[in-house]
This record gives sequence, structure tokens and C-alpha cells, in this order.
Amino acid sequence: MSKQPARAAAASKRLAEDGDICPVCKSSRYLNSTMQFKINPACYHRMCDTCVERIFKRGNSTCPIAGCAKTLSWAKFRRATFEDLKIEREVDIRKTVMDVMNKKEEDFETLRDYNDYLEQVEEIAWNLILNIDVEATTGKLERWKQHQKAELDAGPPLASGKGATQRKASQSSKKKDEAETGFTFHGLKKRVAPVKEAPYDPWGGWSIAPQYYVLQDNYDVDWYKRIKTDVHHVAGGHSLQDYCSQALRDAFGGLGVFIEDEILARDTPSMDADVGTEHAVAAAMSGKDANMNVNMDDVF
Amino acid sequence: MQLTEDDLYRSSTQFRKWSFTAQQLHAQRQKTNLSATERVKANVARVRAQRAQQAADSDSISSGVDNCSGASTPNVVTSAVEVNCLTAEEELKIVNDFCERAIALGTHNNFPSPVVPTCIQYMRRFYLYNSPMTYHVNIILRTIMYLATKVELCTVGHINVGPFAEGAGRNVTTESILAPEYVIMQGLRYNLDVRHPFRGVKAGNMEMLEILHGKYQGPSQGLKAAEVQAQMLQIPMKVNGPAMKMPANKVEERIHQAYSTATQTLRNVAVLTDAYFLYTPSQIWLAAHLLADEPLTLFYLNLKVPPSHPTYPKLLTTLRNCATLISSHRLYVYNTLPQAEKDAREAIHQAEVKKLVQKLKNCRDPDKVDLVKLNQAQKRDAVEGGALEESKAKRRKVARETYENEADAFWGPELANKAE
Repeated sequence: MSKQPARAAAASKRLAEDGDICPVCKSSRYLNSTMQFKINPACYHRMCDTCVERIFKRGNSTCPIAGCAKTLSWAKFRRATFEDLKIEREVDIRKTVMDVMNKKEEDFETLRDYNDYLEQVEEIAWNLILNIDVEATTGKLERWKQHQKAELDAGPPLASGKGATQRKASQSSKKKDEAETGFTFHGLKKRVAPVKEAPYDPWGGWSIAPQYYVLQDNYDVDWYKRIKTDVHHVAGGHSLQDYCSQALRDAFGGLGVFIEDEILARDTPSMDADVGTEHAVAAAMSGKDANMNVNMDDVF
Repeated sequence: MQLTEDDLYRSSTQFRKWSFTAQQLHAQRQKTNLSATERVKANVARVRAQRAQQAADSDSISSGVDNCSGASTPNVVTSAVEVNCLTAEEELKIVNDFCERAIALGTHNNFPSPVVPTCIQYMRRFYLYNSPMTYHVNIILRTIMYLATKVELCTVGHINVGPFAEGAGRNVTTESILAPEYVIMQGLRYNLDVRHPFRGVKAGNMEMLEILHGKYQGPSQGLKAAEVQAQMLQIPMKVNGPAMKMPANKVEERIHQAYSTATQTLRNVAVLTDAYFLYTPSQIWLAAHLLADEPLTLFYLNLKVPPSHPTYPKLLTTLRNCATLISSHRLYVYNTLPQAEKDAREAIHQAEVKKLVQKLKNCRDPDKVDLVKLNQAQKRDAVEGGALEESKAKRRKVARETYENEADAFWGPELANKAE
């Protein structure tokens, strides 16, 4: 596959040497070495880029090749990837079919069901390639596409009242026959919408529950009232509530912490440990024993 | 998963690394003093031996080493007397005195409020693991003060080290300020957070006023805001005094009075004690408030922690112990004394400190006297003369220039040659 463009380039070069001629303006690559050929996926007729620009740049126009009356737009013109335009067309068709028929093996209950599905997909592709029942097949594809889109848009289950009604609608639509949805595949699992992600909690579920104070919305204190209306404080975006919250936390943080007891309790277990590594771990955890061993002379 | 204020405080470095029991504190000071003493004696002996060696080499028998009685300047190195080192208690006295000087320095420089208390706590933390004999207090104080201005986001005046050094005293250079900064950071274990009680006392004042205005919403043991307010108006003036009805404006005055007294105590006395090591900030401010107005503080405390609570007696004991620690400080005692008595005691204290500082001069570690030089020696390319060797400098310059020129080339410069 990766060799394909190189080969195509080599081939076009050989064509140029042979005297490649534009079917529209009859100018040959021999006279214009920078000439490029383009195609439009509506009819796959090849013409040189000068012609494309001349005929289609001002707006849509009909294909200048005799016998082809398709209306082409300038935007759709492109260089062919494959030299053989039949292959080019087949690849395009398969691309559009695969866009719609995008089920995977996991979506089916058994491997057999999946293989049946693949066979149906292949049938559709070949119908389109060989121009058999094109109208009906594209219609079915379009309906299947709509059906899948409706299923996707239904959203996560029980998200809201509206979502619930949508879900009911999609459930009932599943029961409708092939005419409605385009296809029915045996053993196709019902799509389960992914669970909606909960919003990220930077505190990991922890919260601060003060036991000694309640942060009030307002305080009837001189400096509080003054700062609240002071433009110098307000303009900077400083939150007075935050200050009060921090001050109150400072006021009672550690009120119930009795250093004497807690420090002794903290240091005792590290004494009991008799394995050397446990001592090291304990020292690293408490950090205090490690402090003792820091040699201050290392600095100079 | 919920955290209380106490859990938050337990996560602070002040609790984890800088809280001690009284015994631990004492033991650590003894230990620091012991190791510093040993080091000073060993270093002095070594320097003396070196000098004796030099003297012997130059055949000058009558130099200062042997002639100890005739030495004009009693230097620790030149005199042959056994070094008289400071004890742990003496060291603590010197550190305490320099903490008081820090307050004076802060007032002189008009630093905003938290700078000086932070500086003092850094001093106390630093000298818990270091001895004034190793690093002189005066040198360390300047650097710590400069560090504190940076930590506390001091925005007035001396932001830069240059002007700070100019304002710090005679013979103070930028280098001498910056030289010990790494020693200090290491001594502080890189823990720059100090939890002060100042914001707490303000919050307490705020809540008390809120109670008085009848708008209190915090824990109140089942009482309504109006009932708490009514109770507050009946707080006796003294403990176990008769309950009496006071007008609201009088009580408000009382609350403000207690607040300002407590803040003064915290700023000028509590920071100079070991309270920060032994108690939590909330206990410290409540203790200071207890000293300022006991009935009011107890009333407020009872709202927060009911007397029936299992830890209440213990909490009260802790607060009273902390209050005793603060009130037994020299400067707190002075407030209760008449002026003459105060002056007399202060004179005695100053004389004692002066003697100790003099003693410190004679027992300093000779290795750590010139921190600036030690700091320079520590840096890259340090040589005896202070300047880089000429040939070395020239070679480096050429190498740098070639590298810069070649950096513009398409493939970049040549990789460094290992052999060079």
C-alpha cells in the first residue's frame, strides 16, 4: 500500500513520455510538463487541471465529456490515487459504505452473526459497485444511518425526563420493521450508552468539616463592613469569605491536638520495631529521627 | 471522608517536624550543645597545634603561643587556656536575647506584622539543631530576617538584598547576608511555613463580637443566638465573681480591650517563649486571651467545647500551662512591676547577657568564623586568590565562543571532546 503512490507517479511519468492527452482540450503533457489530471467522484472522467479551472471555477457545470451530462462542482475535483479509475471508484464506495456499516465483532452476540453481517455489508458494497439496485440500497443505507444517529443521540439512560422519553422512542423503533431502519441484523446487541463521567473532584472525595465553627455569610464587625465596601480590596478579587474561613481555621486548628500526648504516641511504635528496615521506614515516616541524623557540617 | 481543623493542623510541618514535648526540647538542646562543644574543642586544639607547628618551624620561640600570659588580645586560638564553652542554658539565653533584638530590628525597619514573629520562630528552630558557638547569632539573625521578609511577602522597602544589607548595620555586605542562607535553609529543614496565632485571635474577636450582636451561628450547645447574647451580657468581671448585667457597648469595649491585650502579649511575649514548639497556635491565642480576660475566654471556650466534653479538663489544663509559660516570661512579668523595679531587673539581665555574648566570643568554632569565605570556597572554580586562574579562564572563554559560533551551523556544534 505504501508503495502505491510511488508506483502511480512512475506510471504517470511514463504516460507523459508517451504523450498523455487531455480528452477535453487535447493539449498534451509533452507541451505542458506541469499538467495534472483530475477526476470528480460523480462520474470519474479524467481531465487536465487547466480544463477543470476553466470550466468549473466559476460555478457548477456539466461534465464536458460527450455523453456524460452530470453536474460537477469544482470543490469535488481531486487527483486520482489509483491509476485504474475503477479501483478508485470502488475504494470510494467502500469508504462510504464502511462509514455507515461500522459495527464490530463485539457488537454481535456470536461470531456467526457477525459474519452474516459482514456478508450483507459486502453485498451492499458490490450492489453499489456493479450498479445493481442503487436507489434502493442507498435509501436503505441512509435510513440505517439515521437510525444509528437517533440511537447515539438518545444519550445516557435516565439522564433526565426528556432522555427517558427518547429512550422509549428508540426502544419502540427497534421493534419497527426493516422498512423503517433499513436493515435488521440478527444477533446485534442493543447499544449501551456509556455512563456519563462524573465531574472531576480535585479533593478526591475529601472535604473539610469544621467542628468548632460555622462560617457565616456576613459578620457584623467594623473592619469586615469596611473592607466589604472598600474598592481597593474588592477590585483585586480578594474574597473576604476566604479570609474569614482561613482565620477561623487558624483559630481552631489544633485546639484538640495535645502535642505532648500525640508526639509521644507517634514516637513509641518506632521504638518497638526490631527489624532494621522497619526502623528506617519509621524514621522516614516520622521524619524526626531522620532530622537527628542530619549532619549540619556537610554544608561547608 | 471528612477532615476537621485538627486533622488539617496535624498535616502541617509545624506539627510534624517542629512540635516537641518539653523533655524532648530540653534533650535536643543538650545534645546540640554537647556536640558543638566537642567540635569547638577539637577544632581549637587542631588550630593551636598548627600554629605551634608554624611557630616551631620559624624558630621564633618567643611568639604568642608560648607566651600566653602576655597576649595582648585574649583570643581563643592564641591563649592556651582550656576553652570555656557555653552551656545549653547559656546558649538559649543568647538566642532569646537576639530574638528580642529581632523585634527591635523589625520595628526599626517597619516590617509588616508577620515578618518578625516568623523570623523569631526561624531563629528558635535553627538554634534547636545548631549552636551559637558554631554559627554566630548576629550573622544568622540578619539572614533569617531577610529570609522572613521574603517568606512573608513583605512588600515595603527592603525587597532586595542590597538595600537590606545597607540598612542592617555596619560592615554588613550583600555577601555576608547571602553566605549562610543554605545553612539556614538546611537547618530549617526547608520548612518555611510557620502557623501563627495572630489570625486566630482576630477570628476569635470577630466571633465574640458576633455573639454580642446576637448574630452568632456557630456551635452554641443548643442555645439560640439571642440566649447566648444574653449570657454574654452577664459575664462577671472576675472569675467566680458576681454575675452582673452590663450594657452592650461596655461589653464591646471589653472584647476589644481583651483582643488588643492578647495581641500585644502574642506579639511581644509569646513569640519569645517555647510556646510554638509545645502548643498549637489555637491553644496559644486562647492562652493569651485567657491572660487578658479569663471569664470572657472561658465563656467563649465553653460555647465551642462544653465542660461535659471528655477532653475539656485536659484542654483547660493545657491552656493554663501555656498561659503560665507565657506569663512567666521576663517581659510579661515586667508589665506588673513598678518602673524602678523593672529598670533594675532589666539592667541585671542586660549585664548578664553582655557577659554571655563576651563569653561566646571566646568559644567560637574557628572553622565557622568566616562564613563568606567558606561559602566562596564551596562554589565552583574557587581558588585561593579569589580570582580564577588566568589560563583556565582564557581556555573556558575560547571554548564558549567556539561553541556559540558553531551553534548556528546546520548540524549544531561538535560534541564535546572527552579528552579535553
